[in-house]
Amino acid sequence: MAARKLFVLILIVFVGAGVHVGLSRKVWENRQEVRRTTQTGYVFPSQFARILALGHKGLYADYLFLNTLTFFGERQMYRENLTKEDWDYLVAGLDTVTDLDPYFLDPYVLGASLLTWDIRRFDDANRLLEKGTRHRTWDWRLPYYLGFNHFYFLKDYNKGAEYLMEASRRPQSPSFLPTLAARLSYYGDQARTGILFLMALISQTKDERLRNSLLIRKQALEGAALIEERIERFRKERGRAPGDINELLKEGYIEQLPEEPYGGKWLILPTGRVFSTSKFVAPPKKK
Amino acid sequence: MNRVWALSVITYKEGIRNRSLFGILAFALFVLGLNISVAGFFMREVGKVTVDMNLSALTFSGLLLVFFVALHLMAKDIDKKTIQLVFSKPLSRGEYILGKYLGILFFVVVSLLALAVFSIATVSLVRGLYPNYFAGFSWPIFFTAGCFVLVQLAVLCAILILFSTVTTSSFASLIFTVCVYLVGVTIEDVLFYIQSGFRTEAISPVVQEVVKVVSYILPNFSMWDFKLEAAHGLAIGAERIGLGLGYAAVYIVVLLALATLFFQRREFN
Amino acid sequence: MSVAEISLKNVSKTFSPGLFKKKVEAVRDLTLEVGKGEVYGLIGPNGAGKSTTIRVLLGLIRPTGGEILFRGEPPRHGEFQKEIGYLPENPYLYDYLTLEELLQFCGRVSGVGGEERRKRIDELSGKLQLTEALRRPLRTYSKGMLQRAGICFALLHDPAIVILDEPMSGLDPMGRKLVFDLVLELKEQGKTIFFCSHILSDVERLCDRMGVLVRGRLARTFGKSDFAAGCEAAVHLLLPPVEERLRPALEGLQGELVSVPDGLLLSFPAERLPEIAGALTRLGIGIRGTRSSRVSLEELFIETVGESS
Repeated sequence: MAARKLFVLILIVFVGAGVHVGLSRKVWENRQEVRRTTQTGYVFPSQFARILALGHKGLYADYLFLNTLTFFGERQMYRENLTKEDWDYLVAGLDTVTDLDPYFLDPYVLGASLLTWDIRRFDDANRLLEKGTRHRTWDWRLPYYLGFNHFYFLKDYNKGAEYLMEASRRPQSPSFLPTLAARLSYYGDQARTGILFLMALISQTKDERLRNSLLIRKQALEGAALIEERIERFRKERGRAPGDINELLKEGYIEQLPEEPYGGKWLILPTGRVFSTSKFVAPPKKK
Repeated sequence: MNRVWALSVITYKEGIRNRSLFGILAFALFVLGLNISVAGFFMREVGKVTVDMNLSALTFSGLLLVFFVALHLMAKDIDKKTIQLVFSKPLSRGEYILGKYLGILFFVVVSLLALAVFSIATVSLVRGLYPNYFAGFSWPIFFTAGCFVLVQLAVLCAILILFSTVTTSSFASLIFTVCVYLVGVTIEDVLFYIQSGFRTEAISPVVQEVVKVVSYILPNFSMWDFKLEAAHGLAIGAERIGLGLGYAAVYIVVLLALATLFFQRREFN
Repeated sequence: MSVAEISLKNVSKTFSPGLFKKKVEAVRDLTLEVGKGEVYGLIGPNGAGKSTTIRVLLGLIRPTGGEILFRGEPPRHGEFQKEIGYLPENPYLYDYLTLEELLQFCGRVSGVGGEERRKRIDELSGKLQLTEALRRPLRTYSKGMLQRAGICFALLHDPAIVILDEPMSGLDPMGRKLVFDLVLELKEQGKTIFFCSHILSDVERLCDRMGVLVRGRLARTFGKSDFAAGCEAAVHLLLPPVEERLRPALEGLQGELVSVPDGLLLSFPAERLPEIAGALTRLGIGIRGTRSSRVSLEELFIETVGESS
């Protein structure tokens, strides 16, 4: 009798475990779907988050940051476009994380890269970076990113140079920073300056995805720099600017146009700068 | 079945008269009171914050109930050898496990219902104070989320019972159960983070496999978490409810059967 | 001979507490039988394996060897439990339950019907003077009251076999008398009683047979009858401790020589008194006194324990 009971129990366990695994699979699928379709989460404003953290601010900051990362990563994985609310959520999350733990480097770096390249919310990015610069007084990277943002996105070369000088005064900063700062204040808008910046940035970046996008950007800038250089030669020899890119080709100033990695067409702006129809932004990915 | 019922009745009575219950009740009332006073601080999302705080208060109190009172109900029998007395009666090990589980579950349900009454009062009060901010609020969704708090606790009780049958000290079962809960509520974020491909460091495939296996063994508590839906008044599909209930029921049955198996091998010295 | 109610055959139990700890042999090759209507007392020093024996008997732990028979067959779960009542040592009952609820539970799991249950509860609580406390939570009980409550719990379903582990511990003299009388009453009703204790006077007065358990082994068993037969009509002389050289001479006197705490006790049939008195005078051994009583169980106990360890 006891043996039969034992048998029944073991049967229950095995059958149950089987059903459980099957259900688990369904559950995970369901969760994936639910997470993808639910709206953004809500981040407690930092004054409440401080209380909620119950004395474990660091841990709570880590947890929130992980949450933010996952959220963003999932959207990336499914190639879904982020809505304005999604971005608000990201910004609020990073704000709270850095309020809870203002010395936490990762959220600053994440914010600086995502908010600028992907969505061009420079004010948010710069606000985060300035917070970081204030707190991480030993870290040259944050004012460096600030300088880059001012140079590259905001075209505010003087301010950018100031931040770079600030970065160069911090320990272990690369030796080229003062040169870069000087160069920036003299000939701000040349593609070469941007390439230098990017090279420093690439050397600092570990994240594969971000690094790749920086490398593409660098390739684009190098293309632009090459064309700008040829335009300069054209101007020196002909005393006028070329009408368009094709003129450079026709006149033999350039044998072959460099590849535009974003898939756009090269343009010469009225200012003499070279740009692309893609505006150096990757075309929106389709699912 | 009569014997199972008799055991669950005394288990329930022993639990519901426990003094710690007052402490837990006081805690829940404190959080709800805090909710009423804090609600006005939020400018737009008063309804959302109220629902959040209510459901979290219910969950927290429920966890306290399970980790302190329910643990006590199960582990004290073994610690203090009362179980020897119980097993000198014609009660099989399986009946014991089932009776204890039902008693504990009944106790948790009744305590939580008492708290739910206060919670409903709080929500109604805040809603009366700030009627404009409860546009998305819906009682059915709120109740569904509340019921799933119970489902979570029911699973947790089964986990507690399983650990009580294998460990010799109640402290160990407490630690194990808390760990399973913490893993259960975070595993989803961890798993999806790993899969998301958006991370700063490469993660070894071994870790990935381990997490994947763990995700099948331990319950995913997020499946029973409808706080977000309740907070924003988002409709919950019937499929999610059915799947959630089935997932919980099967898991509980497996845990209790395992607990009985372990218990049958166990000696009570 | 009729089939014994309970018999243990070559039962042994070894605990293996963990990887790096020494194994403990709690019970070794224990064989004993308790007949119907018999009162069997298992005595032994602390840690002798008395409680382990009871737990093996109840099926709470599995023996490493040997077998247990209930009325000649291996006990079947459920039926066996209906026939036994068990009182553990220092019973811990539930804190917040009342005795009444606990007894109701006991009756229900043992299949005692509603009316019968009510009657038994009133009867037993009256006998153990707990009627007043029936509706109070067990938390408020004193140690002695808990012990008595435990006895109620064990006896509620009117079992045929009662197993008591240290039933007298924690009781005041009044409580002891109460329990004592209850056990006598059970005995009269023809119940089989198996109990272990280290309060020897109780065992002595209640038991038909006794077993002395030392280090997990049954060192000695004696029935009330042979206990009395061996000692009746005897003279017991208390002698001072003697020098070693005199011992062979003393042993040659053909009496029973037992070491007692304050010297030696020499027992022999009354008719040999003149002869032995003469011999002692010749040896120059004084007589300290006499014991009119038979040899106390305590002394036998100490002797047995001393021999076996």
